[in-house]
Amino acid sequence: MPGISPSRSAPKSPARASRALWPLLWVAGLTVPAVLDSSWVSIAAMFAIYAVSALSEDVILGRGGMFDMGHAVYFGVGAYATAILNTSFGWPILATLPAAVLLAAAAGALLAGPLTRLRGDYLLVATIGFNSIFVLTMQNDPGGVTGGSDGITGIGVPSLFGFPLASQSAMFWLDWVVLGIVLLLMRNLDRSEFGRAQRYLKQDELAAGTLGVDARKVKTQAFALGAGLAGLAGTLFAVQLSTVSPASFVFTESVTLFAVVIVGGPGSVPGVLLGTALMFVVPQIFRDFAQYRYFVFGIAMIAVMVLRPQGLWPQRRRRA
Amino acid sequence: MSLLVIEDLSVAYGQIEALRGVSLTVESGEVVAILGANGAGKTTLMRAISGLLPKRRGAVRFDGTDITRAPADRIVCLGIAQSPEGRRVFGTLKVEENLALGGFTRSAHEIRQGLETVFGMFPRLAERRDQLAGTLSGGEQQMLAIGRALLARPKLLLLDEPSLGLAPIMVQSIFRSLREIAASGVTVLIVEQNVRSALKLADRGYVLEVGRIVHEDSAARLLASPEVQAAYLGKAHT
Repeated sequence: MPGISPSRSAPKSPARASRALWPLLWVAGLTVPAVLDSSWVSIAAMFAIYAVSALSEDVILGRGGMFDMGHAVYFGVGAYATAILNTSFGWPILATLPAAVLLAAAAGALLAGPLTRLRGDYLLVATIGFNSIFVLTMQNDPGGVTGGSDGITGIGVPSLFGFPLASQSAMFWLDWVVLGIVLLLMRNLDRSEFGRAQRYLKQDELAAGTLGVDARKVKTQAFALGAGLAGLAGTLFAVQLSTVSPASFVFTESVTLFAVVIVGGPGSVPGVLLGTALMFVVPQIFRDFAQYRYFVFGIAMIAVMVLRPQGLWPQRRRRA
Repeated sequence: MSLLVIEDLSVAYGQIEALRGVSLTVESGEVVAILGANGAGKTTLMRAISGLLPKRRGAVRFDGTDITRAPADRIVCLGIAQSPEGRRVFGTLKVEENLALGGFTRSAHEIRQGLETVFGMFPRLAERRDQLAGTLSGGEQQMLAIGRALLARPKLLLLDEPSLGLAPIMVQSIFRSLREIAASGVTVLIVEQNVRSALKLADRGYVLEVGRIVHEDSAARLLASPEVQAAYLGKAHT
């Protein structure tokens, strides 16, 4: 609600400094292929992809307060949509991107039908069920298009105006630009009527209801938006690996996304990015100890929940 | 035409019927009180009117529109706002933000007007406009909950136990403000355990007992009636 109180419009200088810092960090990220070797470029690309995925989980879990423990489904719908449309139907990769987003968003809106009637732990269990159904369906190769347990290989490279983005660096830039767009979207979400309605609902659904907030609509929109963004990440994921298989979208992947949001800081963009880095980048650095990833992260999760239940980088207080 | 007409309304939680065939009317400009003990179904009635609970049987009409099956957000848009039991202010939002939220269905211009009106009516809220609502006293939170409901510009204001848990002096102050709100032309349906204050404010009253309306009369006659005095005002039958 703009201009209600003139006293609040003067920004404090630290806030202004941090606003300038984020775009700078993003621009600095663009130089990763120039200054780091190729293994780092692929780590940075995976960071961007998982960051989009974790931010999309945050729309439902962090901002919506809905315990979505099946988010890998939407990530998978996007990845499979790109893989199938590209390999079976010959669509160019970038043409599959809007289709992947829309299909994943539609899946989110559809599943929101039963899910938004549920609360808390019940909703969580139902999302786990959807995740199991999705993985089983992909494994059973319906219509011969998903490739069963082996999945789909040979996904093409995206091309822009006739130039193939075949190099590791070019793909990284694509991922990084998509991350930038999603970050802008998340910022605008905070200021939108939808974002505010989400905050009210999360705090007190009954009170929000007495004031004219349509709970089902807002929750369904959250699922559609979160799922659509996850579908976007799924396309990037399919392109990055040039292969998709059911194993990438199993329940434990959903748990990881859930944990990234909770540990990083629900509703906080920096928190979710930090959580993504801790979960997906740090293990790459200590690749030799990769099998300890869940062990270390498990201990870190317990420590954070006990010592810092609001997350590592919590959401700062926002105006309504 | 009555502003609010409720006919044979039943609401159930699973097997338990909390309201059993309640009928009542509220005329435009009236203040109507619903009296009753704990568990009589008062809050259930308020939530059912607001569309927060599904109705098992019966009909609710507001301003000529059937709202029996209407969703809560549409009911607010039609002109019914509620200050819920226990106040339910958003503790982590500032006072002014809580009020602005009350105008969720309204334009920015209407919100600005509404803020002025409410700050005029409750100067203590104006003083604390930048304070987090969670740091207010109970009475101030109640003012905020009422103010927030007024921001929706209701034709009918539902008040669920506005005196709950408040010091007597604060109860007086809240009821003074309610008189002012009623005088400004807003129709009020109020649920209260504080029977004396409610009946002094109201034009008419209904007595609800275990889900049924058992009395209906003018507020003055209810206040004088031996049954009401015995049951709610602590006086023995004479």
